[in-house]
Amino acid sequence: MKPIAILAGGTMEQHTDARREQLMGRLRALYESLGYTRFSMRRFEEYALYLENKSFLKSDSVLTFTNPDGKLMALKPDVTLSIVKHARRERLGLEKVYYKESVYRLSATAREFVEIDQMGVEALGALDRYAVLEVLRLAIESLRAVGGEYVLDVNHMGFASGLMEAAGLASEQKERLFGLIRQKNAHELQTAIAQEKVAPFYAERIAQLAGLCGAFPETLARAEKLAVSEEMQQALTELRTQYDLLTAIGLADCLQLDFSMLNDLNYYNGLVFQGYVQGAPRVVLSGGRYDHLMRRFGKDGDAIGFALYLDELTRVLADHSQWDADVLALYQAGDDLAKVNNAVFALAANGLRVFAADHRPEGFRAAQVLAFDGECFKEVP
Amino acid sequence: MLNIALPKGRLGDKVYQLFRSCGYDCSAMEKDDRRLVLRDENGKVQYLLVKPSDVAIYVEHGAADVGVVGKDVLLEGGNDVYELLDLGFGVCRMCVAAPVGFREDLSAPLRVATKYPGIAKRYYAGKSREIEIIKLNGSIELAPILGLSDVIVDIVETGATLEQNHLEVTETILPISARLIANKASMRFQAAELQPLLEALQAKQAGGEKA
Repeated sequence: MKPIAILAGGTMEQHTDARREQLMGRLRALYESLGYTRFSMRRFEEYALYLENKSFLKSDSVLTFTNPDGKLMALKPDVTLSIVKHARRERLGLEKVYYKESVYRLSATAREFVEIDQMGVEALGALDRYAVLEVLRLAIESLRAVGGEYVLDVNHMGFASGLMEAAGLASEQKERLFGLIRQKNAHELQTAIAQEKVAPFYAERIAQLAGLCGAFPETLARAEKLAVSEEMQQALTELRTQYDLLTAIGLADCLQLDFSMLNDLNYYNGLVFQGYVQGAPRVVLSGGRYDHLMRRFGKDGDAIGFALYLDELTRVLADHSQWDADVLALYQAGDDLAKVNNAVFALAANGLRVFAADHRPEGFRAAQVLAFDGECFKEVP
Repeated sequence: MLNIALPKGRLGDKVYQLFRSCGYDCSAMEKDDRRLVLRDENGKVQYLLVKPSDVAIYVEHGAADVGVVGKDVLLEGGNDVYELLDLGFGVCRMCVAAPVGFREDLSAPLRVATKYPGIAKRYYAGKSREIEIIKLNGSIELAPILGLSDVIVDIVETGATLEQNHLEVTETILPISARLIANKASMRFQAAELQPLLEALQAKQAGGEKA
C-alpha cells in the first residue's frame, strides 16, 4: 500500500476556538506553576458595587436583574472589583490569585451585551519589588503565549499626577487634562492648559506628556528633564528599576514607555501597563497597581494585576484555513464500516482533520479527497 | 505600507493634496477613478475612500492605520483612537441655532433637532437642561421652520444657510476642524512608517503658521 503524500506534512489546521482553549490552558499552567491559585466566583454581584465604582469599569453599561428579595443584581462586568471586595481585610504576607471568568459587557461594535472570556492575575498584600516584577513578567509571558509580535507599554501614574499636583491643579482640571493626554491630543491639550491658567513653568511640561513615548531608555531620559518633584523622581526610579530587572532577564525588548497612558487616578497609582499584539487593533492586556482601590474597600495592603481580554484576540487566533477539513474521506454504502472507521481513525491519528462521509457535502472544501478501496483510503485518481 | 482612510468628497481631496505635498502621492488618486482602494506603485501608502462618518470606525478597528475626520464625527462616535493633529482646515463651529427672535420656554423640555444626538445630549446635560432629541439625517434647518423642533444643533460654516432660513446662532458649543487620527495598535507596530508622516505634517503646519 502506497503511503498518502499529504500525511508527510500533516499539520493540524486548528479552529479559532481550539487555539483559544490551548492558549487558556497554557496560561493557566503558567500562572499555577508560579503559585497563583484559581479564584472562582459567582456570576453576579450586587449592582451597587458597580454603581459605586463606575469609573473603574471599562464601560459603564451593566447587565442587571432583580433577585427574589428585590435587590438589584448585576452580571459581573469586571473581576478585579470582586476579588478586592472578597479579599481578607487584614493581611499577612502576599496573596497570589488568577482567574478565568466570563464577564458581561456592552460590545463596542454592536449595542448589545456580550459574554467575554477574561483571564487575569492579581497579587494582593505586601508587595515588594519582586512581586511587581513577577506580575510584569507574567504580563509579558501572557502576550508572548499569544504568538507573534507584541508590545507592553508601561507608565507610572506618579509622574503625571505628581506634575499636576505640583502645578496645583484641582481634580476636575486634572481629569480634563488627563483625558486629552490619553488621546495624545497635543493641540487641544495646549488650549486646555491655557484655559486652566496653568503657570508657564508647569504648562510647558504638562504639554509634553501627550507625546512623551517610545523606546524605554530614550523616553526615560527625556522624562528626567521634566521631573520637578519628589513624587515624579520616585516614579522614574521605579520605572528604571523594573526596566533594569527585565533587561537582566532578557525580556525588555518588548517594553515601551508611554507617559500618555493614564488610568483613573481614583483607583490606580504606581505602575500601569497595556499590552498589544500584532493583528489586534485594540489593547489586549491591561493592568497596573491599584492600591487606591484596596483603600476604597478598606483593605490592608497593596495590589497589582492585569487582565487579558480574550475577545480582542479573536482576530489574532482566527482560523485562516481555506479548508473545512484536511481530508474528505469517502466510503460507499457497501463498505465494511468497521474497517472504514478504523481507517478514518488512523488518518486522524496522523494529525489530520478528517471528515468521513458517503458523499461530498455541498460546498465542502477539503485539501484532499480520499476514497475507501476496501482496505484503506487512497487518492481519488 | 500605511493604510490611510480619507473621507470621500471635498475634504478628502483637500487632505490628499496635503498628504501629497508631504511625499505621500498616489498617481491613482489623481485619475478620475471610481475605485475605493487606491494603492501607490511604490507600495508606501494605500488610500481608502470611505464615507466621512465611517473614517473613525475604519481606524478604530485597524482597517486603516490613520485617517482624517472632522472633530464633529469624532465627538459623536466616541471612537477609541488617538487624535494626533488638528489639520486646521474644514473649520466650522458646532452651534445651537434657533429661529430669529426665538424665546426659550424654560418650563418645558427643549426640542432639539440634530444629526448629532450624542453631542447635543452631552451639551444640554452639562447645563442640566431637559431636552427631547429629534434625530434627523439632513436638512436640519427645516425642523424649526416647520415646528418640528425649537432649536437645532448643527455645524455652521458661514451661517449663510441659517440666514436664508431665518435662523441664527444662539450658542456656540465648540470649534470643529479636520483631525488626524491613528489606530492605537498601529502606533506601536507601524511606528516606523507613521512617525515620518506625522513629522512631515507637523512641519507643514508649523511652516503654514509662520507664513
